[in-house]
Amino acid sequence: MSYGKYLIVFAQAHHEFRIPELHSVASLYGFDISLPKGEIETDRPYMVVGLADEKHARQLAKRCILIKAIYEFYAQGSTYEELHTRNRANQALWTRYKLDTSFKFFVTAFNHKIPQDRQRQVVESFSYMDFLGKIDMKKPDITLGCFEEYIEKRGLIRDRHDGDGQFQQAYFGRLIEEGSARVLVKMFDVKKRQYFGNTSMESEVSLLMANQTLASPGKLIYDPFLGTGSMAYPVAYFGAQVFGSDIDGRQMRGKGSTPGVFRAAAQYGVSARILDLLTFDVTHNPWRCGGLFDAIVTDPPYGVRAGAKRLGRKKELDPERQALYWEHRNNPRPDDQPYIPPTKPYELSNLAVDLVQLARYLLKPGGRLVFFLPTVTEEYEEIDVQSMLCEGMEVIANSLQDFGSWGRRLVTILKTTTDSYSPPTFDLNTLEDASSSQHVPAHRDFREKYFQGFKPPAI
Amino acid sequence: MVRLITHNLLACHAKGCNSNNFPLPFSNVQIEIREAEFNPEFLKAFLPKIEWKALVDTAKQLGDMSLPLEQPEMMDDDFLKSFHHVLLEIHVEEGVMTCPNCKHEYPISNGIPNMLLAEHEIG
Ligand SMILES: C[S@@+](CC[C@H](N)C(=O)[O-])C[C@H]1O[C@@H](n2cnc3c(N)ncnc32)[C@H](O)[C@@H]1O
Ligand SMILES: [Zn+2]
Repeated sequence: MSYGKYLIVFAQAHHEFRIPELHSVASLYGFDISLPKGEIETDRPYMVVGLADEKHARQLAKRCILIKAIYEFYAQGSTYEELHTRNRANQALWTRYKLDTSFKFFVTAFNHKIPQDRQRQVVESFSYMDFLGKIDMKKPDITLGCFEEYIEKRGLIRDRHDGDGQFQQAYFGRLIEEGSARVLVKMFDVKKRQYFGNTSMESEVSLLMANQTLASPGKLIYDPFLGTGSMAYPVAYFGAQVFGSDIDGRQMRGKGSTPGVFRAAAQYGVSARILDLLTFDVTHNPWRCGGLFDAIVTDPPYGVRAGAKRLGRKKELDPERQALYWEHRNNPRPDDQPYIPPTKPYELSNLAVDLVQLARYLLKPGGRLVFFLPTVTEEYEEIDVQSMLCEGMEVIANSLQDFGSWGRRLVTILKTTTDSYSPPTFDLNTLEDASSSQHVPAHRDFREKYFQGFKPPAI
Repeated sequence: MVRLITHNLLACHAKGCNSNNFPLPFSNVQIEIREAEFNPEFLKAFLPKIEWKALVDTAKQLGDMSLPLEQPEMMDDDFLKSFHHVLLEIHVEEGVMTCPNCKHEYPISNGIPNMLLAEHEIG
Protein backbone atom coordinates (compact mmCIF):
# COMPACT_ATOMS: atom_id res chain seq x y z
CA MET A 1 0.00 0.00 0.00
CA SER A 2 1.31 3.48 -0.75
CA TYR A 3 1.02 6.05 1.94
CA GLY A 4 0.72 9.78 1.56
CA LYS A 5 2.35 11.90 4.22
CA TYR A 6 0.30 14.12 6.50
CA LEU A 7 1.32 16.71 9.07
CA ILE A 8 -0.66 16.63 12.29
CA VAL A 9 -0.81 19.78 14.40
CA PHE A 10 -1.71 18.77 17.94
CA ALA A 11 -3.49 20.73 20.63
CA GLN A 12 -1.26 21.50 23.57
CA ALA A 13 -2.74 19.07 26.06
CA HIS A 14 -2.43 15.49 27.31
CA HIS A 15 0.46 14.68 25.02
CA GLU A 16 0.80 11.09 26.27
CA PHE A 17 -2.75 10.44 25.03
CA ARG A 18 -2.10 11.53 21.45
CA ILE A 19 -0.82 8.31 19.93
CA PRO A 20 -3.36 6.04 21.63
CA GLU A 21 -6.09 8.33 20.33
CA LEU A 22 -4.72 8.20 16.77
CA HIS A 23 -4.59 4.40 16.91
CA SER A 24 -8.10 4.15 18.34
CA VAL A 25 -9.72 6.40 15.77
CA ALA A 26 -7.84 4.63 12.97
CA SER A 27 -9.06 1.31 14.29
CA LEU A 28 -12.62 2.63 14.65
CA TYR A 29 -12.70 3.52 10.95
CA GLY A 30 -10.64 0.49 9.96
CA PHE A 31 -7.56 2.08 8.40
CA ASP A 32 -3.83 1.91 9.03
CA ILE A 33 -1.73 4.79 10.22
CA SER A 34 2.03 4.68 9.91
CA LEU A 35 3.84 6.56 12.64
CA PRO A 36 7.40 7.91 12.59
CA LYS A 37 10.03 5.19 13.09
CA GLY A 38 11.93 4.92 16.33
CA GLU A 39 11.18 6.55 19.64
CA ILE A 40 8.54 9.26 19.26
CA GLU A 41 8.86 12.41 21.32
CA THR A 42 5.19 12.65 22.16
CA ASP A 43 5.43 16.16 23.55
CA ARG A 44 6.32 17.73 20.22
CA PRO A 45 3.36 19.52 18.64
CA TYR A 46 3.91 18.40 15.05
CA MET A 47 4.02 14.88 13.73
CA VAL A 48 4.27 13.51 10.20
CA VAL A 49 2.28 10.31 9.66
CA GLY A 50 1.48 8.08 6.69
CA LEU A 51 -2.11 7.45 5.54
CA ALA A 52 -3.39 5.60 2.49
CA ASP A 53 -6.16 8.09 1.77
CA GLU A 54 -6.91 11.76 2.37
CA LYS A 55 -10.30 10.62 3.67
CA HIS A 56 -8.54 9.07 6.66
CA ALA A 57 -6.94 12.39 7.51
CA ARG A 58 -10.39 13.96 7.55
CA GLN A 59 -11.75 11.20 9.78
CA LEU A 60 -8.92 11.75 12.25
CA ALA A 61 -9.49 15.51 12.28
CA LYS A 62 -13.20 15.08 12.91
CA ARG A 63 -12.89 12.61 15.74
CA CYS A 64 -9.59 13.14 17.59
CA ILE A 65 -9.96 15.48 20.54
CA LEU A 66 -6.24 16.27 20.50
CA ILE A 67 -5.91 17.27 16.83
CA LYS A 68 -5.96 20.95 15.92
CA ALA A 69 -5.54 20.43 12.17
CA ILE A 70 -4.16 18.06 9.55
CA TYR A 71 -2.13 19.15 6.52
CA GLU A 72 -0.90 17.32 3.50
CA PHE A 73 2.81 17.26 4.22
CA TYR A 74 5.09 18.93 1.68
CA ALA A 75 8.43 19.38 3.43
CA GLN A 76 10.33 20.00 6.62
CA GLY A 77 13.81 21.15 7.55
CA SER A 78 15.99 22.52 10.29
CA THR A 79 16.68 25.50 8.03
CA TYR A 80 14.58 27.09 5.31
CA GLU A 81 17.23 26.13 2.78
CA GLU A 82 16.71 22.50 3.62
CA LEU A 83 12.93 22.87 3.66
CA HIS A 84 12.85 24.57 0.25
CA THR A 85 15.08 21.95 -1.35
CA ARG A 86 12.75 19.22 -0.18
CA ASN A 87 9.66 21.18 -1.10
CA ARG A 88 10.98 21.57 -4.63
CA ALA A 89 11.65 17.85 -4.80
CA ASN A 90 8.03 17.24 -3.79
CA GLN A 91 6.52 19.56 -6.36
CA ALA A 92 4.44 16.75 -7.84
CA LEU A 93 2.24 17.29 -4.78
CA TRP A 94 1.53 20.96 -5.47
CA THR A 95 2.11 21.91 -9.12
CA ARG A 96 -1.56 21.25 -9.85
CA TYR A 97 -2.47 24.31 -7.76
CA LYS A 98 -0.22 26.68 -9.70
CA LEU A 99 -2.57 27.99 -12.35
CA ASP A 100 -5.83 29.25 -10.96
CA THR A 101 -6.31 28.08 -7.40
CA SER A 102 -7.03 30.83 -4.88
CA PHE A 103 -4.96 30.44 -1.77
CA LYS A 104 -4.07 31.66 1.66
CA PHE A 105 -0.58 31.41 3.06
CA PHE A 106 0.38 31.76 6.70
CA VAL A 107 3.46 31.34 8.86
CA THR A 108 3.24 30.62 12.55
CA ALA A 109 5.36 29.29 15.37
CA PHE A 110 5.07 27.04 18.38
CA ASN A 111 6.51 28.55 21.59
CA HIS A 112 7.47 31.72 19.83
CA LYS A 113 6.18 34.84 18.11
CA ILE A 114 7.66 35.63 14.68
CA PRO A 115 8.01 39.37 13.98
CA GLN A 116 5.85 40.68 11.12
CA ASP A 117 8.69 41.53 8.77
CA ARG A 118 10.24 38.09 9.03
CA GLN A 119 6.86 36.48 8.47
CA ARG A 120 6.73 38.40 5.22
CA GLN A 121 10.25 37.27 4.31
CA VAL A 122 9.29 33.66 4.89
CA VAL A 123 6.21 33.95 2.69
CA GLU A 124 8.30 35.54 -0.05
CA SER A 125 10.89 32.80 0.16
CA PHE A 126 8.24 30.43 -1.26
CA SER A 127 7.78 32.54 -4.42
CA TYR A 128 9.50 29.87 -6.55
CA MET A 129 6.30 27.84 -6.21
CA ASP A 130 4.83 30.30 -8.71
CA PHE A 131 1.25 30.21 -7.56
CA LEU A 132 -0.71 32.36 -10.03
CA GLY A 133 -4.15 32.15 -8.43
CA LYS A 134 -5.37 35.05 -6.33
CA ILE A 135 -4.69 35.40 -2.66
CA ASP A 136 -7.88 35.05 -0.66
CA MET A 137 -7.69 35.31 3.11
CA LYS A 138 -11.40 34.55 3.67
CA LYS A 139 -12.50 31.72 1.38
CA PRO A 140 -9.41 30.33 -0.31
CA ASP A 141 -9.52 27.14 -2.36
CA ILE A 142 -6.46 25.97 -0.46
CA THR A 143 -4.56 27.03 2.65
CA LEU A 144 -0.80 26.62 2.90
CA GLY A 145 0.72 26.64 6.35
CA CYS A 146 4.31 26.97 7.50
CA PHE A 147 5.12 26.09 11.11
CA GLU A 148 8.28 26.81 13.08
CA GLU A 149 8.84 24.73 16.18
CA TYR A 150 10.88 26.24 19.02
CA ILE A 151 12.12 24.29 21.98
CA GLU A 152 10.23 25.14 25.09
CA LYS A 153 12.43 27.01 27.52
CA ARG A 154 10.82 25.97 30.72
CA GLY A 155 10.94 28.58 33.43
CA LEU A 156 12.87 31.01 31.25
CA ILE A 157 11.13 34.25 30.56
CA ARG A 158 12.36 35.45 27.25
CA ASP A 159 11.48 38.36 25.10
CA ARG A 160 8.73 37.72 22.56
CA HIS A 161 11.02 37.71 19.59
CA ASP A 162 14.14 36.47 21.35
CA GLY A 163 15.92 33.74 19.40
CA ASP A 164 13.80 34.41 16.33
CA GLY A 165 14.69 32.06 13.49
CA GLN A 166 16.43 29.58 15.78
CA PHE A 167 13.77 26.96 15.44
CA GLN A 168 14.31 23.28 15.91
CA GLN A 169 12.36 22.33 12.81
CA ALA A 170 10.04 23.99 10.29
CA TYR A 171 7.16 22.21 8.53
CA PHE A 172 5.15 23.09 5.47
CA GLY A 173 1.95 21.72 3.95
CA ARG A 174 -1.57 22.17 2.63
CA LEU A 175 -4.54 22.21 4.99
CA ILE A 176 -6.77 19.16 4.67
CA GLU A 177 -9.08 19.63 7.65
CA GLU A 178 -9.26 21.69 10.81
CA GLY A 179 -9.87 19.54 13.87
CA SER A 180 -13.55 19.76 14.71
CA ALA A 181 -13.76 17.51 17.77
CA ARG A 182 -12.11 19.97 20.15
CA VAL A 183 -15.29 22.02 20.41
CA LEU A 184 -16.78 19.05 22.26
CA VAL A 185 -14.51 19.85 25.19
CA LYS A 186 -16.52 23.04 25.72
CA MET A 187 -19.82 21.43 24.91
CA PHE A 188 -19.37 18.79 27.63
CA ASP A 189 -17.97 21.25 30.16
CA VAL A 190 -18.87 19.88 33.59
CA LYS A 191 -19.72 23.29 35.02
CA LYS A 192 -22.39 23.82 32.39
CA ARG A 193 -23.89 20.38 32.97
CA GLN A 194 -27.39 19.93 34.43
CA TYR A 195 -26.05 17.38 36.88
CA PHE A 196 -22.56 16.80 38.20
CA GLY A 197 -20.77 16.08 41.46
CA ASN A 198 -17.34 16.14 43.04
CA THR A 199 -16.44 12.88 41.32
CA SER A 200 -17.25 14.14 37.82
CA MET A 201 -14.49 13.69 35.29
CA GLU A 202 -13.35 16.73 33.31
CA SER A 203 -14.81 16.80 29.85
CA GLU A 204 -11.62 16.58 27.81
CA VAL A 205 -10.49 13.44 29.60
CA SER A 206 -13.97 11.89 29.36
CA LEU A 207 -13.87 12.48 25.63
CA LEU A 208 -10.44 10.90 25.35
CA MET A 209 -11.74 7.89 27.26
CA ALA A 210 -14.75 7.73 24.94
CA ASN A 211 -12.42 7.60 21.95
CA GLN A 212 -10.47 4.75 23.54
CA THR A 213 -13.71 2.74 23.65
CA LEU A 214 -14.31 3.15 19.88
CA ALA A 215 -17.84 4.31 20.68
CA SER A 216 -20.11 4.39 17.64
CA PRO A 217 -23.71 3.57 16.70
CA GLY A 218 -24.81 0.02 17.49
CA LYS A 219 -22.24 -0.49 20.27
CA LEU A 220 -23.12 -1.32 23.84
CA ILE A 221 -20.95 0.24 26.53
CA TYR A 222 -20.98 -0.15 30.31
CA ASP A 223 -19.71 1.89 33.26
CA PRO A 224 -19.85 -0.15 36.49
CA PHE A 225 -18.82 2.83 38.67
CA LEU A 226 -21.07 5.32 36.96
CA GLY A 227 -21.29 8.04 39.64
CA THR A 228 -22.55 11.18 37.92
CA GLY A 229 -22.03 9.60 34.49
CA SER A 230 -19.26 11.74 33.00
CA MET A 231 -18.14 9.18 30.43
CA ALA A 232 -21.64 8.05 29.54
CA TYR A 233 -22.43 11.34 27.80
CA PRO A 234 -19.61 11.47 25.25
CA VAL A 235 -19.89 7.74 24.61
CA ALA A 236 -23.61 8.15 23.88
CA TYR A 237 -22.92 11.28 21.85
CA PHE A 238 -20.71 9.17 19.57
CA GLY A 239 -23.71 6.89 19.03
CA ALA A 240 -23.26 4.04 21.51
CA GLN A 241 -25.90 2.81 23.94
CA VAL A 242 -24.94 2.81 27.59
CA PHE A 243 -25.60 0.89 30.78
CA GLY A 244 -24.44 2.34 34.08
CA SER A 245 -24.41 1.07 37.62
CA ASP A 246 -23.17 2.25 41.00
CA ILE A 247 -23.29 0.94 44.53
CA ASP A 248 -24.68 4.29 45.62
CA GLY A 249 -27.92 5.20 43.86
CA ARG A 250 -27.70 8.76 45.14
CA GLN A 251 -24.65 9.38 42.92
CA MET A 252 -26.73 8.68 39.82
CA ARG A 253 -29.98 10.26 41.04
CA GLY A 254 -29.00 13.50 42.69
CA LYS A 255 -32.02 15.49 43.82
CA GLY A 256 -35.33 15.66 42.04
CA SER A 257 -37.50 12.92 40.64
CA THR A 258 -35.82 12.57 37.24
CA PRO A 259 -32.41 11.06 38.00
CA GLY A 260 -29.56 13.51 37.45
CA VAL A 261 -27.81 11.32 34.89
CA PHE A 262 -30.93 11.35 32.70
CA ARG A 263 -31.25 15.10 33.08
CA ALA A 264 -27.67 15.66 31.92
CA ALA A 265 -28.10 13.16 29.08
CA ALA A 266 -31.20 15.04 27.92
CA GLN A 267 -29.21 18.26 27.82
CA TYR A 268 -26.90 16.61 25.26
CA GLY A 269 -29.79 15.03 23.36
CA VAL A 270 -28.68 11.48 24.19
CA SER A 271 -31.07 10.31 26.91
CA ALA A 272 -32.58 7.63 24.65
CA ARG A 273 -29.12 6.05 24.43
CA ILE A 274 -28.78 5.67 28.18
CA LEU A 275 -30.37 2.24 28.27
CA ASP A 276 -30.62 1.89 32.03
CA LEU A 277 -29.05 2.82 35.34
CA LEU A 278 -28.91 0.24 38.10
CA THR A 279 -27.92 0.25 41.75
CA PHE A 280 -25.64 -2.59 42.79
CA ASP A 281 -22.23 -3.49 44.10
CA VAL A 282 -20.25 -4.65 41.10
CA THR A 283 -18.71 -7.42 43.21
CA HIS A 284 -22.26 -8.80 43.72
CA ASN A 285 -23.75 -8.11 40.33
CA PRO A 286 -26.92 -9.44 38.71
CA TRP A 287 -25.72 -9.79 35.09
CA ARG A 288 -27.23 -13.03 33.81
CA CYS A 289 -24.52 -13.74 31.25
CA GLY A 290 -21.23 -12.49 29.84
CA GLY A 291 -20.07 -11.45 26.38
CA LEU A 292 -22.44 -8.48 26.37
CA PHE A 293 -20.48 -5.27 25.92
CA ASP A 294 -18.29 -3.73 23.26
CA ALA A 295 -16.52 -1.69 25.90
CA ILE A 296 -16.36 -1.00 29.60
CA VAL A 297 -15.30 2.52 30.45
CA THR A 298 -14.87 3.57 34.03
CA ASP A 299 -13.10 5.59 36.68
CA PRO A 300 -12.84 3.17 39.58
CA PRO A 301 -13.10 4.54 43.09
CA TYR A 302 -9.65 5.09 44.45
CA GLY A 303 -10.55 6.41 47.79
CA VAL A 304 -9.54 10.03 47.53
CA ARG A 305 -12.85 11.54 46.58
CA ALA A 306 -15.13 8.51 46.41
CA GLY A 307 -13.86 5.54 48.34
CA ALA A 308 -14.12 2.02 47.05
CA LYS A 309 -16.55 -0.01 49.05
CA ARG A 310 -18.18 -3.34 48.84
CA LEU A 311 -21.00 -4.98 50.61
CA GLY A 312 -20.12 -6.80 53.78
CA ARG A 313 -18.48 -6.05 57.07
CA LYS A 314 -15.59 -7.26 59.13
CA LYS A 315 -17.01 -7.03 62.63
CA GLU A 316 -20.19 -8.12 64.29
CA LEU A 317 -23.19 -5.85 64.00
CA ASP A 318 -23.79 -3.19 66.60
CA PRO A 319 -27.34 -3.17 67.98
CA GLU A 320 -28.46 -0.30 65.79
CA ARG A 321 -27.23 -1.95 62.62
CA GLN A 322 -28.70 -5.20 63.80
CA ALA A 323 -32.11 -3.55 63.98
CA LEU A 324 -31.68 -2.10 60.50
CA TYR A 325 -30.60 -5.46 59.22
CA TRP A 326 -33.77 -7.15 60.39
CA GLU A 327 -35.80 -4.24 59.16
CA HIS A 328 -34.29 -4.58 55.71
CA ARG A 329 -34.60 -8.31 55.70
CA ASN A 330 -38.28 -8.07 56.38
CA ASN A 331 -39.08 -5.25 54.04
CA PRO A 332 -36.54 -4.10 51.50
CA ARG A 333 -36.64 -0.48 50.44
CA PRO A 334 -35.65 1.49 47.38
CA ASP A 335 -32.13 2.81 47.64
CA ASP A 336 -33.12 6.42 48.16
CA GLN A 337 -34.54 5.53 51.55
CA PRO A 338 -32.63 5.30 54.79
CA TYR A 339 -31.39 1.72 54.76
CA ILE A 340 -27.95 1.47 53.28
CA PRO A 341 -26.31 -1.90 53.62
CA PRO A 342 -23.02 -2.03 55.47
CA THR A 343 -19.94 -1.80 53.32
CA LYS A 344 -16.27 -2.52 53.85
CA PRO A 345 -13.24 -0.92 52.22
CA TYR A 346 -12.05 -2.34 48.93
CA GLU A 347 -8.32 -2.14 48.30
CA LEU A 348 -7.40 -0.62 44.96
CA SER A 349 -4.96 -3.25 43.73
CA ASN A 350 -7.57 -5.94 44.40
CA LEU A 351 -10.18 -3.90 42.67
CA ALA A 352 -8.02 -3.50 39.56
CA VAL A 353 -7.42 -7.25 39.28
CA ASP A 354 -11.13 -7.93 39.78
CA LEU A 355 -12.07 -5.32 37.21
CA VAL A 356 -9.92 -6.92 34.50
CA GLN A 357 -11.45 -10.34 35.20
CA LEU A 358 -14.94 -8.91 35.23
CA ALA A 359 -14.24 -7.21 31.91
CA ARG A 360 -12.99 -10.47 30.40
CA TYR A 361 -16.31 -12.03 31.39
CA LEU A 362 -18.62 -9.20 30.35
CA LEU A 363 -16.90 -8.02 27.14
CA LYS A 364 -17.40 -9.44 23.69
CA PRO A 365 -14.23 -10.77 22.03
CA GLY A 366 -12.36 -7.74 20.71
CA GLY A 367 -14.01 -5.53 23.33
CA ARG A 368 -12.08 -2.97 25.33
CA LEU A 369 -11.71 -2.08 28.98
CA VAL A 370 -10.79 1.60 29.40
CA PHE A 371 -10.11 2.84 32.91
CA PHE A 372 -7.98 5.02 35.14
CA LEU A 373 -5.44 3.68 37.55
CA PRO A 374 -4.02 6.17 40.03
CA THR A 375 -0.38 5.69 40.76
CA VAL A 376 2.52 7.01 42.74
CA THR A 377 4.80 8.55 40.12
CA GLU A 378 8.11 7.71 41.82
CA GLU A 379 7.22 4.09 42.48
CA TYR A 380 5.41 3.18 39.28
CA GLU A 381 6.81 0.28 37.27
CA GLU A 382 5.54 -1.20 34.04
CA ILE A 383 4.83 -4.44 35.85
CA ASP A 384 2.19 -2.73 38.01
CA VAL A 385 -0.13 -2.77 35.04
CA GLN A 386 1.11 -6.12 33.72
CA SER A 387 0.52 -7.78 37.10
CA MET A 388 -3.19 -7.12 37.03
CA LEU A 389 -3.75 -8.85 33.70
CA CYS A 390 -5.18 -12.31 33.17
CA GLU A 391 -5.13 -14.71 30.25
CA GLY A 392 -6.83 -13.29 27.18
CA MET A 393 -6.52 -9.64 28.21
CA GLU A 394 -3.77 -7.41 26.76
CA VAL A 395 -2.76 -3.83 27.44
CA ILE A 396 -2.87 -1.82 24.22
CA ALA A 397 -2.44 1.68 25.61
CA ASN A 398 -1.21 3.20 28.86
CA SER A 399 -0.92 6.98 29.13
CA LEU A 400 0.10 8.99 32.17
CA GLN A 401 -1.66 12.14 33.25
CA ASP A 402 0.98 13.62 35.50
CA PHE A 403 0.08 15.59 38.63
CA GLY A 404 3.61 15.62 40.10
CA SER A 405 4.08 13.22 42.99
CA TRP A 406 1.11 11.20 41.83
CA GLY A 407 -0.64 10.70 38.57
CA ARG A 408 -3.16 8.50 36.90
CA ARG A 409 -2.79 6.18 33.99
CA LEU A 410 -5.46 5.74 31.39
CA VAL A 411 -5.16 2.05 30.60
CA THR A 412 -6.81 0.39 27.61
CA ILE A 413 -7.03 -3.38 27.70
CA LEU A 414 -8.18 -5.48 24.76
CA LYS A 415 -10.01 -8.77 25.14
CA THR A 416 -8.01 -10.87 22.70
CA THR A 417 -9.58 -14.20 23.56
CA THR A 418 -12.71 -15.67 22.02
CA ASP A 419 -13.00 -18.25 24.78
CA SER A 420 -15.69 -17.89 27.41
CA TYR A 421 -14.58 -17.51 30.98
CA SER A 422 -16.70 -17.81 34.06
CA PRO A 423 -17.49 -14.70 36.06
CA PRO A 424 -14.91 -13.72 38.67
CA THR A 425 -15.66 -14.73 42.22
CA PHE A 426 -14.16 -11.57 43.72
CA ASP A 427 -12.84 -13.40 46.73
CA LEU A 428 -9.42 -14.82 45.89
CA ASN A 429 -7.96 -11.36 45.65
CA THR A 430 -9.71 -9.83 48.55
CA LEU A 431 -7.94 -11.96 51.14
CA GLU A 432 -6.70 -9.46 53.65
CA ASP A 433 -2.99 -9.81 52.95
CA ALA A 434 -1.72 -10.96 49.61
CA SER A 435 1.23 -13.27 50.11
CA SER A 436 4.54 -11.46 50.19
CA SER A 437 5.95 -13.33 47.20
CA GLN A 438 3.55 -11.48 44.94
CA HIS A 439 4.50 -8.24 43.25
CA VAL A 440 3.28 -5.20 45.18
CA PRO A 441 2.23 -2.51 42.71
CA ALA A 442 2.72 1.19 43.40
CA HIS A 443 -1.02 1.74 43.46
CA ARG A 444 -1.46 -0.63 46.43
CA ASP A 445 -2.90 1.34 49.35
CA PHE A 446 -3.08 4.41 47.15
CA ARG A 447 -5.50 6.19 49.45
CA GLU A 448 -3.17 5.92 52.45
CA LYS A 449 -0.22 7.05 50.37
CA TYR A 450 -2.20 9.99 49.05
CA PHE A 451 -3.01 11.23 52.52
CA GLN A 452 0.58 10.76 53.64
CA GLY A 453 1.70 13.00 50.80
CA PHE A 454 3.49 10.02 49.17
CA LYS A 455 6.27 10.04 51.73
CA PRO A 456 7.50 6.72 53.03
CA PRO A 457 5.76 6.05 56.34
CA ALA A 458 7.83 6.89 59.42
CA ILE A 459 9.36 3.80 60.99
CA MET B 1 -36.71 3.15 33.00
CA VAL B 2 -36.15 -0.55 33.37
CA ARG B 3 -36.41 -1.57 29.74
CA LEU B 4 -37.00 -5.15 28.73
CA ILE B 5 -33.51 -5.43 27.27
CA THR B 6 -32.19 -4.79 30.78
CA HIS B 7 -34.76 -6.98 32.44
CA ASN B 8 -33.73 -9.82 30.14
CA LEU B 9 -30.15 -9.56 31.40
CA LEU B 10 -30.85 -9.52 35.13
CA ALA B 11 -30.98 -12.61 37.33
CA CYS B 12 -31.36 -12.84 41.07
CA HIS B 13 -27.88 -12.97 42.55
CA ALA B 14 -28.62 -13.58 46.21
CA LYS B 15 -26.26 -16.08 47.81
CA GLY B 16 -27.15 -19.63 46.85
CA CYS B 17 -29.93 -18.56 44.52
CA ASN B 18 -28.71 -20.28 41.37
CA SER B 19 -31.72 -21.83 39.72
CA ASN B 20 -35.20 -20.62 38.83
CA ASN B 21 -33.78 -17.13 39.48
CA PHE B 22 -34.65 -15.66 36.08
CA PRO B 23 -36.63 -13.81 34.78
CA LEU B 24 -37.73 -11.64 37.68
CA PRO B 25 -41.48 -11.06 37.26
CA PHE B 26 -42.70 -7.49 37.64
CA SER B 27 -45.50 -6.38 39.91
CA ASN B 28 -47.16 -3.05 40.75
CA VAL B 29 -45.69 -1.50 37.63
CA GLN B 30 -46.00 1.96 36.24
CA ILE B 31 -45.09 1.99 32.57
CA GLU B 32 -44.06 4.61 30.07
CA ILE B 33 -43.50 4.23 26.35
CA ARG B 34 -40.65 6.29 24.89
CA GLU B 35 -39.34 6.25 21.39
CA ALA B 36 -35.84 4.88 20.80
CA GLU B 37 -33.58 4.89 17.74
CA PHE B 38 -34.24 1.97 15.41
CA ASN B 39 -31.01 0.17 14.61
CA PRO B 40 -31.63 -3.17 12.82
CA GLU B 41 -27.94 -4.16 12.92
CA PHE B 42 -27.84 -3.75 16.66
CA LEU B 43 -31.04 -5.78 17.08
CA LYS B 44 -29.83 -8.62 14.91
CA ALA B 45 -26.49 -8.77 16.68
CA PHE B 46 -28.11 -8.68 20.10
CA LEU B 47 -30.77 -11.31 19.46
CA PRO B 48 -28.54 -14.30 20.34
CA LYS B 49 -28.07 -12.86 23.84
CA ILE B 50 -31.80 -12.72 24.50
CA GLU B 51 -33.68 -15.42 26.40
CA TRP B 52 -36.60 -15.48 24.02
CA LYS B 53 -39.28 -17.06 26.16
CA ALA B 54 -38.52 -14.73 29.05
CA LEU B 55 -38.87 -11.73 26.77
CA VAL B 56 -42.16 -12.89 25.27
CA ASP B 57 -43.64 -13.74 28.67
CA THR B 58 -42.56 -10.46 30.22
CA ALA B 59 -43.92 -8.43 27.31
CA LYS B 60 -47.19 -10.31 27.61
CA GLN B 61 -47.28 -9.62 31.33
CA LEU B 62 -46.97 -5.92 30.51
CA GLY B 63 -49.70 -6.12 27.90
CA ASP B 64 -47.70 -6.36 24.69
CA MET B 65 -48.53 -9.41 22.54
CA SER B 66 -46.66 -8.44 19.38
CA LEU B 67 -43.85 -11.00 19.61
CA PRO B 68 -44.10 -14.52 18.13
CA LEU B 69 -43.85 -17.37 20.65
CA GLU B 70 -40.98 -18.92 18.76
CA GLN B 71 -37.99 -16.87 17.75
CA PRO B 72 -38.37 -16.58 13.94
CA GLU B 73 -35.74 -17.88 11.53
CA MET B 74 -36.19 -14.94 9.20
CA MET B 75 -35.99 -11.47 10.62
CA ASP B 76 -38.21 -9.34 8.42
CA ASP B 77 -38.91 -5.68 8.99
CA ASP B 78 -42.17 -6.24 10.82
CA PHE B 79 -40.54 -8.57 13.26
CA LEU B 80 -37.62 -6.21 13.85
CA LYS B 81 -40.02 -3.33 14.52
CA SER B 82 -41.90 -5.29 17.20
CA PHE B 83 -38.68 -6.61 18.67
CA HIS B 84 -37.31 -3.06 18.80
CA HIS B 85 -40.42 -1.76 20.49
CA VAL B 86 -40.52 -4.46 23.14
CA LEU B 87 -36.80 -4.44 23.83
CA LEU B 88 -36.16 -0.69 23.97
CA GLU B 89 -39.33 1.38 24.14
CA ILE B 90 -41.25 -0.03 27.11
CA HIS B 91 -39.97 1.50 30.35
CA VAL B 92 -40.94 0.31 33.79
CA GLU B 93 -40.70 3.44 35.92
CA GLU B 94 -41.98 2.12 39.22
CA GLY B 95 -42.63 -1.36 40.52
CA VAL B 96 -40.96 -4.42 41.93
CA MET B 97 -39.14 -7.39 40.47
CA THR B 98 -39.40 -10.53 42.57
CA CYS B 99 -37.17 -13.58 42.41
CA PRO B 100 -39.34 -16.64 41.66
CA ASN B 101 -36.97 -18.77 43.72
CA CYS B 102 -35.91 -16.92 46.89
CA LYS B 103 -38.58 -14.21 46.72
CA HIS B 104 -36.09 -11.37 47.08
CA GLU B 105 -37.79 -8.15 46.02
CA TYR B 106 -35.90 -5.69 43.86
CA PRO B 107 -37.72 -2.35 43.97
CA ILE B 108 -37.67 0.14 41.10
CA SER B 109 -38.00 3.83 41.80
CA ASN B 110 -37.82 6.65 39.27
CA GLY B 111 -36.75 4.06 36.75
CA ILE B 112 -33.72 2.80 38.70
CA PRO B 113 -33.85 -0.74 40.08
CA ASN B 114 -32.18 -1.37 43.38
CA MET B 115 -30.28 -4.63 42.92
CA LEU B 116 -28.33 -4.34 46.17
CA LEU B 117 -28.38 -7.35 48.40
CA ALA B 118 -28.79 -7.37 52.12
CA GLU B 119 -26.09 -8.73 54.32
CA HIS B 120 -27.44 -12.22 54.71
CA GLU B 121 -27.71 -12.56 50.95
CA ILE B 122 -24.04 -12.17 50.09
CA GLY B 123 -21.41 -14.86 50.28
C1 LIG C 1 -14.49 7.85 41.08
S1 LIG C 1 -16.23 7.64 41.23
C2 LIG C 1 -16.77 7.60 39.55
C3 LIG C 1 -17.15 8.95 39.11
C4 LIG C 1 -17.83 9.01 37.80
N1 LIG C 1 -16.93 8.71 36.70
C5 LIG C 1 -18.48 10.36 37.64
O1 LIG C 1 -18.47 10.89 36.54
O2 LIG C 1 -19.02 10.91 38.60
C6 LIG C 1 -16.41 6.01 41.79
C7 LIG C 1 -17.84 5.53 42.00
O3 LIG C 1 -17.78 4.16 42.35
C8 LIG C 1 -18.82 3.87 43.26
N2 LIG C 1 -18.47 2.60 43.93
C9 LIG C 1 -17.60 2.40 44.94
N3 LIG C 1 -17.51 1.09 45.24
C10 LIG C 1 -18.36 0.44 44.40
C11 LIG C 1 -18.74 -0.94 44.20
N4 LIG C 1 -18.21 -1.92 44.96
N5 LIG C 1 -19.63 -1.24 43.23
C12 LIG C 1 -20.17 -0.26 42.47
N6 LIG C 1 -19.87 1.05 42.62
C13 LIG C 1 -18.98 1.40 43.56
C14 LIG C 1 -18.92 5.10 44.11
O4 LIG C 1 -20.22 5.22 44.66
C15 LIG C 1 -18.58 6.22 43.12
O5 LIG C 1 -19.75 6.81 42.59
ZN1 LIG D 1 -33.32 -15.28 44.30
